[in-house]
Amino acid sequence: MTRFSEMGALLSATILAGSAVAAEDITIRMAAPDWGPTRFMQDHANETYTAPSGNNVKLEIDFIPWPNFFDRVNASLNSGEQKYQILVSDSQWLGTFIEAGHFMKLNDHIAEDAELQAIIKDLHPALVSGYSTYPNVPADKIAEMGNYAPDVNYYGFPQFPDNYFTYYRNDLFCDEGENAAFKEKYGSELPCAAEDWDSVTWDDWGNFGEFFTRKAGETLAGQMLGSDFYGIAYQAGKPLDFSTMQINAFFWQWGGGIWDEANEPNAPVLGVVNSDENVAGFERYLELLNYAPPIAKTGQMGIFEIQDLYMQGKIAAIIDWAALAAPVVDPATSQVADVTSFGMMPGNMLNGTLDRSANLGGQPFVLTTWNDDLVVAEALDLVKWWLSEDTQIAAVKAGGQSGLTSVLENPDYDSWAPWNATYRKSLPWQKDLWHVPEMFEMLTQQQEEFDRAITGQVSAREALDAVAEFQDELLRDADRLQ
Amino acid sequence: MLWPSSRTSCCATRIACSKPMEKAVNQATLPPKLPPAFERKVEVRGFLQWINAPERRGALLVTPALATLFLINILPLLWSFGLSFFNYRANRLTAPKFQGLENYTDLLGDDRVWERFVTTGLIVSSSVALQLLIGFGLALLFAKKFPMRRLALMFVLTPMMLSFVSVAIFFKLFYDPTLGMLSWFISLFTGESFALLATPAGAIAGIVIADAWMWSPFVMLLVLAGLVSVPGYLYEAAEIDRAPSWKRFRTITFPYVKSLLLLALLFRTIETFKTFDLVFLITEGGPGSTTETIAIYAYRLGFQFFRTSEASALAYMILFVVIVLTSIYLYVVKQRNASEGV
Repeated sequence: MTRFSEMGALLSATILAGSAVAAEDITIRMAAPDWGPTRFMQDHANETYTAPSGNNVKLEIDFIPWPNFFDRVNASLNSGEQKYQILVSDSQWLGTFIEAGHFMKLNDHIAEDAELQAIIKDLHPALVSGYSTYPNVPADKIAEMGNYAPDVNYYGFPQFPDNYFTYYRNDLFCDEGENAAFKEKYGSELPCAAEDWDSVTWDDWGNFGEFFTRKAGETLAGQMLGSDFYGIAYQAGKPLDFSTMQINAFFWQWGGGIWDEANEPNAPVLGVVNSDENVAGFERYLELLNYAPPIAKTGQMGIFEIQDLYMQGKIAAIIDWAALAAPVVDPATSQVADVTSFGMMPGNMLNGTLDRSANLGGQPFVLTTWNDDLVVAEALDLVKWWLSEDTQIAAVKAGGQSGLTSVLENPDYDSWAPWNATYRKSLPWQKDLWHVPEMFEMLTQQQEEFDRAITGQVSAREALDAVAEFQDELLRDADRLQ
Repeated sequence: MLWPSSRTSCCATRIACSKPMEKAVNQATLPPKLPPAFERKVEVRGFLQWINAPERRGALLVTPALATLFLINILPLLWSFGLSFFNYRANRLTAPKFQGLENYTDLLGDDRVWERFVTTGLIVSSSVALQLLIGFGLALLFAKKFPMRRLALMFVLTPMMLSFVSVAIFFKLFYDPTLGMLSWFISLFTGESFALLATPAGAIAGIVIADAWMWSPFVMLLVLAGLVSVPGYLYEAAEIDRAPSWKRFRTITFPYVKSLLLLALLFRTIETFKTFDLVFLITEGGPGSTTETIAIYAYRLGFQFFRTSEASALAYMILFVVIVLTSIYLYVVKQRNASEGV
């Protein structure tokens, strides 16, 4: 061995020994709602994650029940305890916590990291728009710029993307006797296969509702009913955003809309929120509640209530989130597990095309602002691991969803879960709610007014006039309107 | 520093000590200069003896409790009271800005606040009246001896031992129009499901029933304490005089339970005025905002809208109302005592 190679070997050994000594123990603490997608993330990280830096990085998720999730996260962030390095956040909370200085802007890190840029470019534009940008940039503009542009502010990445669609009883919709009776009454056939739902409109949905609403003692698919049976259901609940999410779909599909935060301070509220299109869409939404279970009359028909009633075999078809589909096809929790299929949410014929616009669900995860450079680097490596193709495929196979187009285009994607094809086809129609800090006040007041209309205290027009007036005043006070 | 106790150690009493004598004793018994460690030890022991003196021991024992109370109760109260005069949001980076009474005047001029006060008043008056009525009736029932009385009493007392969340979920399911027992029972007669919470009046009734179910046993306990204290000879005398049962109740029973009934009225009014859990879980303030109490609105202001200083001001307005209610109660009790010459 020459003296030169001896020195090289010594140097290599010193570096290796040094790096072994320098490997640090780092814990990335993450606040997350307690449910399947985050439980999977923890388990999969425990099993597979090794930090590329060589440090001993451990993901430690603080699982918080959904009903307390916002309160706990809010209290933690505003108390200044600086407990979490990563947080799962509803997309609508972005503005609130960004303007409070808690969520980290990631532009500099993305600009320096080709891998992160590749992830952003691979994500569906609707998810980049809803989960990452603040001030919000609409999905069509995000798509135009190829998802990544340095002058857009990026904050989050998808932890669990979600959208809603139809769950239906194939034993009823494919029943020959029921189909014949339906055809005789309405002149069209019941949608049996998932593809048949691609052309279903809200008028059809109303017909399904009327047709399948039966009293105890009547027959349904040849069976005598022991209790009342209901045709259709979708979100109509006062808590959280349980009516707004569905009603927004009607606004957009009828050609109306919500206050356009991307164009503040020039985007008006009056005349938009209470436009004729919004009123017409909202009236249609209210009419269709006549075929829902009676809980709709109380304004408490949230996502869990309709899921529960459907699983008990009391409704023919519902519209709910992909996140709630797994228990519905599990025989241990659902009486209709083996007779449930999934199809697109109905749409409205607008300017010659069937519009299926809907409100985006799911959550991004974000980094907090108080971490040192080393923790930020490790947290970003963790983000890259979660959004790597292998991890995403494992997550989808475990019942989750992916926002990466490379995973969505995998030929086997639709076979990994019975609702995957529907989720994939629905994704391009997704739009999001506002992200500004005033969101909570706007949402709470809107939920109250929608609830008044759902419970029959005011008309659709009166409710939307009240919403528009409130939002106009609030946004002017906040200098978001001229 | 020389602590008083170490001063007394040099002579039995201060009266007996004179300065020259003190000096003489010091010179005779102590070395000219003590080592520093020893001096510190003497000082510490002296301080402990001084602070542990009987006249200071009471104060010493309550100091930790007072300090804790101040830190976790009084200080936040004072802090939030101060905050109510500022413009401050807990979720913004901007510093609080003084604005005097603006939060209070804004709230007093806000229709939403008055609407919630009216709703709260309606729930309080209906629920407390029902609790007093049922509680009094139950107390009259349990004042008499009957078989299995103890077991029945235990069952009747159970609701007030349950958590608000359990009671709220129980009633939410009970009222559910599709799966609930109430709807099932009514449908036996009408053939239609029944959605109690679908109308403002029905939703308020639903909350009042749940609250009264939970807290009537509390009223019963207080009234029962009054009933068992009525001397038996008064009833015997009334029986000899052949006084009718209504007169016996009015002249013997009621005067004994009146003060306890007033106490129950005060406790339940204050508690029901602050109702949050039951309403939030059963109706979330709906339909619309027709069952939204002032406590829920204060929560929304503080933790959903992040109007921290406005929420503080509203909390003090609620406190003011509670103080007024308490003062009215104390005034009534004082008047009654004065009229009875107590």
